[in-house]
Amino acid sequence: MENDLGRAAALSRRQMLSRSGCGFGLLALSELLASETVRRTTHPFALQSPHHAPKAKRVIFLYMPGGPSHVDLFDPKPRLKVDNGKPLPFDKPKLERTKTGNLMASPWAFARKGRSGVEVSELLPYLSSHMDDLCVIRSMLADNINHSGAALQLCTGEQAFSRPSLGSWLTYGLGTENQNLPAFVVVSPAAVFQGAQLWASSFLPSAYQGTLVRDLKNPIANLGDGATDTVRQRAKLDALRSLNELHQRTRAPDSQLDARIASFELAFRMQREAPEAFDLARETAATHRLYGTDQPATELFGRQCLLARRLVERGVRFVHLFDAPANNAWDHHNGIHDALPKRCRAVDQPIAALLTDLKSRGLLEDTLVLWGGEFGRTPTAEGKNGREHHPFGFSMWMAGGGIRGGMAFGATDEFGWHATQDIVHIHDLHATMLHLMGLDHEKLTFPHAGRDFRLTDVSGRVVKQILA
Amino acid sequence: MRQGSRNNLARGLAALAALAQACSTLPHPATVAVKPESWWAFQAVQPQAIPAIKNTAWARNEIDHFIAAELESHGMAPAPEATRRQWLRRVSYDLTGLPPTLEAMDAFLADATADAFERVADRLLASPQYGQRWARHWLDAVRYADYHDADAKARNPVCEPVEAWRYRDWVVESLNRDMPYHQFITHQIAGDLLDAPDGKAPYAGGLVATTFLINGVWDRGDADKEKMVSDMVDDQVDTVGKVFLALTLGCARCHDHKYDPISQADYYALAGMFYSTRMLKELGTKGGEITLQRRSLVPDAIVEQRIGLVTQLAEANTQLAALDKAQPKPAPDDPARAKLAARRDQLQKDLPPEPPLALAVSEGGVPGGLFPGIQDVPIHLRGSYTRLGRVVPRALPVFFKGTNQAPIRSGSGRRELAEWIASPTHPLTARVAVNRVWQGHFGAGLVATPNNFGINSRAPSHPALLDWLAARFVEEGWSVKALHRRIVLSASYRQSANAPDAQAKDPDNRWLARFPARRLDAEAIRDTMLQVSGRLDTQFGGPADSELSGTRRSLYLQTARWDRGSFSTLFDAANPDACAEARPVSTVAPQALFLLNSSFMRDQSGHLAARLMREVPDTAPDSESARVRLAYRLLFHRAPGADELAIATRLVRGAQGPAAWADLAHVLLCSNELIYGE
Repeated sequence: MENDLGRAAALSRRQMLSRSGCGFGLLALSELLASETVRRTTHPFALQSPHHAPKAKRVIFLYMPGGPSHVDLFDPKPRLKVDNGKPLPFDKPKLERTKTGNLMASPWAFARKGRSGVEVSELLPYLSSHMDDLCVIRSMLADNINHSGAALQLCTGEQAFSRPSLGSWLTYGLGTENQNLPAFVVVSPAAVFQGAQLWASSFLPSAYQGTLVRDLKNPIANLGDGATDTVRQRAKLDALRSLNELHQRTRAPDSQLDARIASFELAFRMQREAPEAFDLARETAATHRLYGTDQPATELFGRQCLLARRLVERGVRFVHLFDAPANNAWDHHNGIHDALPKRCRAVDQPIAALLTDLKSRGLLEDTLVLWGGEFGRTPTAEGKNGREHHPFGFSMWMAGGGIRGGMAFGATDEFGWHATQDIVHIHDLHATMLHLMGLDHEKLTFPHAGRDFRLTDVSGRVVKQILA
Repeated sequence: MRQGSRNNLARGLAALAALAQACSTLPHPATVAVKPESWWAFQAVQPQAIPAIKNTAWARNEIDHFIAAELESHGMAPAPEATRRQWLRRVSYDLTGLPPTLEAMDAFLADATADAFERVADRLLASPQYGQRWARHWLDAVRYADYHDADAKARNPVCEPVEAWRYRDWVVESLNRDMPYHQFITHQIAGDLLDAPDGKAPYAGGLVATTFLINGVWDRGDADKEKMVSDMVDDQVDTVGKVFLALTLGCARCHDHKYDPISQADYYALAGMFYSTRMLKELGTKGGEITLQRRSLVPDAIVEQRIGLVTQLAEANTQLAALDKAQPKPAPDDPARAKLAARRDQLQKDLPPEPPLALAVSEGGVPGGLFPGIQDVPIHLRGSYTRLGRVVPRALPVFFKGTNQAPIRSGSGRRELAEWIASPTHPLTARVAVNRVWQGHFGAGLVATPNNFGINSRAPSHPALLDWLAARFVEEGWSVKALHRRIVLSASYRQSANAPDAQAKDPDNRWLARFPARRLDAEAIRDTMLQVSGRLDTQFGGPADSELSGTRRSLYLQTARWDRGSFSTLFDAANPDACAEARPVSTVAPQALFLLNSSFMRDQSGHLAARLMREVPDTAPDSESARVRLAYRLLFHRAPGADELAIATRLVRGAQGPAAWADLAHVLLCSNELIYGE
C-alpha cells in the first residue's frame, strides 16, 4: 500500500517538476508530499525515525572469519580436561563436516576477571581487563557448518540465497548521521571468501551495500589528487545532475537512477571528508601505541580498530571489520596451538584499545560492539592439533550501547558441544541488535518477490536478559 | 498459562502466519514436499501449443503468444513499442556489447523495408563482436579466470592457468561459428576424446575446450594433496552440474542431496569419471605447488623434432664451451671453431617456436594420487577421502538413467557423460541453455536461478514458453544464434523500458509487460567509452591485458582470482571463484569516484573532446552547438533537447579550449543515459 502511494507521489512529483520546468527549486516543497518510500529512494541515507528509542546509534562488528574456538577463548570446560583424549560420550549431530577425533582439552588457562568475574582465556590478556563491559554469549547457535553458508547467515540471516546484509538493513532502516561518508564501511585487508555477498544490499536498493576498504593506506580509490578544481568540478556535477534529472523525467521511477544521482553527490563530498576521516596519522603517538599500530603483530588490526573509531565518531552507521591478514584467518583445522595465540595476539590489544578509546570519548554508551565468527570450533580434535567447524554452540560477545556488561549469558553442555541454556540463534542476535538500534525486527521489512522480507525471516526474538 | 508461554505461542502463531503468507506466493522447500518424479524440470520437455491470445495484432512471433497469454491472464497489457533508436541501441548492446555506430543508426532509421529489423539482427549475429559479447556470459558461468595473481612477475607458470586465454578464444570462435550447443557441451567435457573434423591429430579445439575442467579455484594447491584432488573433482562435478544441467550435484558430496534426486552414490559414480581424468601433470610435494597439465596442440612428430633440435643445439653449445675452455684465447679464424659456431647458429635459426600448449585433460587419474588410473571410486563418507565406503561403478545418476546402465569400460566415462548431457531428450540441458540466453536478453531468466532447476528452485514464470523454446532449440540443430534471432525480433523484446503502469503492477517484471531497464555491465561501460571516442581496438584473442588504460575490448582485460579490486569488480563483474548465475547491479559512491577522478576517465574525456574538436573545427559554423550535437549523436544517437543544449553550453563556456570540451565529454560519459544504455 505504502508503495503504491509512494509511486503515485513520485509520479506527481515528477509531473510537477516537469511542468514547472525549474528543476530543483521546487523539490523541497514536493518532498513534503513524498512518502517514506520515495524519500528512501531519492535520499537513501536521510535520517529515518526508529521504531522506538534506540540504545545504540552505531555498530562496530569485529568479525573473525573462519570461526574462533569458543572452548579456548570464552567458554571454559573443565570436563574437557578430565576427559581429554576420550571420545565424546554422545552421538555427534548428523551435520558433520569431517569426522573429528576425541575430546581435546584447551591447553590454555582461564581466569575470572573484573568485578563481574567473567571467565576469559589467558590468550586475551588485554581484553580481560574489559570483562565488566562485555556480555559474553556462550550459547550461540548457527545452522551451517561451512564457511560460506555460515558467514552468509551471520551477515545476512540466510545461508544460501542472496539477502541484504545486517549493515544494509540498518542503514536502510535508519539512514546515516554523516552524509559525507559511506554509511556502511567494510574493512578487509584480504579478499573475503564469499566476497561482496557479505555486505550486499541484495534486493534492498543498491545504495545500501557496504563500501569495501581493502587498502588502509589508500582506503578509497579515486578520491582525487587534491589538485582538482572543486568549483569547476561542482559545475560539472551540477550539469550532470541536471542532465540526469531531465533524463529521469522522461522515465518511470527507478531507484537505481535515483541512487546513481545520489552516488555522485556522495562521491563529491567524500572527496573532501574521507581523506581526513581515514587519515590515521592525525592520531597522537599515544593513541597509536594504545592500539598497537607501532608493533608488527598488532599493526594491521590496530589500524582497522583505530579507523573504526574514527569512522563511528564521524557518524558512520555500521563498520564491519574483518580480521583478515589472509582469508579465513581463524579457521584452525590444524596447528591451533600456534595459530590461535598468534591470531589472539594480533587482535587482543587493538580490541581492548578500541573499547578503552570509545569509553573515554563517551562513545561506548551508544556504540554497539560485536565480536565473533561464523561459528565456533569442535571440542573434539581434528587431526592432532586442530578443531573443526562448530555451529552447534559457540561464543560471541557484545559490549556498549544498551548491553548489560559483565555477564556471561547462556551455556553449552559440559563438553562445549551443544548450546543448552538460553540459546541465542543468529536470528535472535540480529533481532537483539536491531532492537538496540531502535528497530523492531518484525517491522523492518521490504517487499520483494511477492512478500515482505525481514532480516530475521520468520524467526528471531530479542534477548531481553542481556539488555542493560 | 504463564505469560511467557502465551507470548511464545503468539509468536509461534505469528511465525506460522508469516510462513503461510510467504508460501502462498513462494514455494517454500521446507514446507512443500515435492516428489522428484513430479518436479517439472525432471520431466521431458513437453510439446506446447501456441496459446491463443486476444491481442494477436501485437504478436510478432510465437514468443509473444506465450508472453501475451500470461499478461492477459494477469490483467496486464504490453508496454508500447520502443522507438527504432532505442531498439537498435538495445539489440546492439545485447548482441555485441557495443552501441551501434552512427552509420548503422542512420542506415537503420532510414531503412523503410519490411525486413529492416531482421537484417539488423542477422548483421549483428554475424559480426565477430557477437562472440566477444556472449563469451563473457559463458565465462561468468564457468568461473573463468585468466590468472590467480594479478601481478605477472609474481606468477608461478606451473600452477597458474597462463594458457587459459586459448579457451576464452575458443569460446568466442565457437559462438561466432554458431557451433551447435550440444557439440559445445561435448567439447568442454570430453573434447580430448573427440576426432578433429578435418581428421588431423591432435584436435586442438577439442583439447583447448577441456580447459573448462581445469580452470578452477585451486590456486597453488592445498598442503593436503589428496584433499585437493577431491576438491578439484568436486569442482568439476559441481560445475558440470550447474552449468549444463542447473543441478547442484556438488550438494551430494557429503550426503544425499537434501532436495533433488541425487544420492551420494550418484555423486561418486560421476566423481569416478573425473578421478579417472588427468588434470594435473603432477601432484607436487606436500606443501608444494601443483602442476596443471598442458598438452601440445601440434602433432607429436613436430614436438619430437623440436626436442631433437634443442638437444643438438645444447650439444653444440657444450662443444663450443669446451673448445673455448681448452683454448682460452682462440684464434678467431680457427676453422674448427668457426664450423661449430656456424652449426650452432644454423640450429638456432632452424629451431621452430615453442609448440603451443593448452590446459587440457587426458584419460587416467593424477599419477601418484589415490586414484591414479581409470577406476571406480569409493563413496567418501562425509566427503572425506580419509573415510572411504563402498566402491560405486562409474555411472549416470540413477534417477535419470535407472539402475540398468551399461557399464563404462572404455575410458573415464566422460564421453558417456557428455553424450547423456548433450542428448536431445535430456529434460534439463536445452531448458537450461535457453534460459541462460533468455537471461542474457531480459536480465532475468524464465527460471530465476539459472544454475539451479532443482526442487529448491522457484518455478519458471513461463513454463510453456520455456519448453517451447527448448524444443525449438533442439529441432533447429541447437543453434544459439537462431534462438537469439527469435528473441530479439519478438514484440516482447521490442517493448519500451519506460512503462510506469507495468512497473507499478509488476515491479519485478516477472510477466514482462515492459523491457527491463538495465545498467550496462562493466565491459560494456568501458567498451562504450572507447568506442565513442573512436579508439576501441576490436582485435581478437591472445593473452589478457593487464592495463585498464589499453584500448582492446574489456573481454581481454585480465581477470585475476586474487585481485577483485579492479574496475570490472567495481561495476559488478562476476566473481570468478564460483559459477555465476547472474551479475548483481550495485550503485555506490566508489563507482562515482572512479568516474569522476580516475585517470582512465580523464583520458577518455580528453579523447572524446579531441574527437569533437577534430570533427567540428572552431571554424565550422555555429561550432559550439554543432559539437554538442555531435556528442549527443555519438553517445545517445539523438539530438540534444533545448534544455540539454543550454546546460551543455553553459558548462562549456565556463572554461577555455580543450579543457572545456573535456569537461563536457566527462559529464556526458558519466550520465545515466549512457550508463543505462537507453
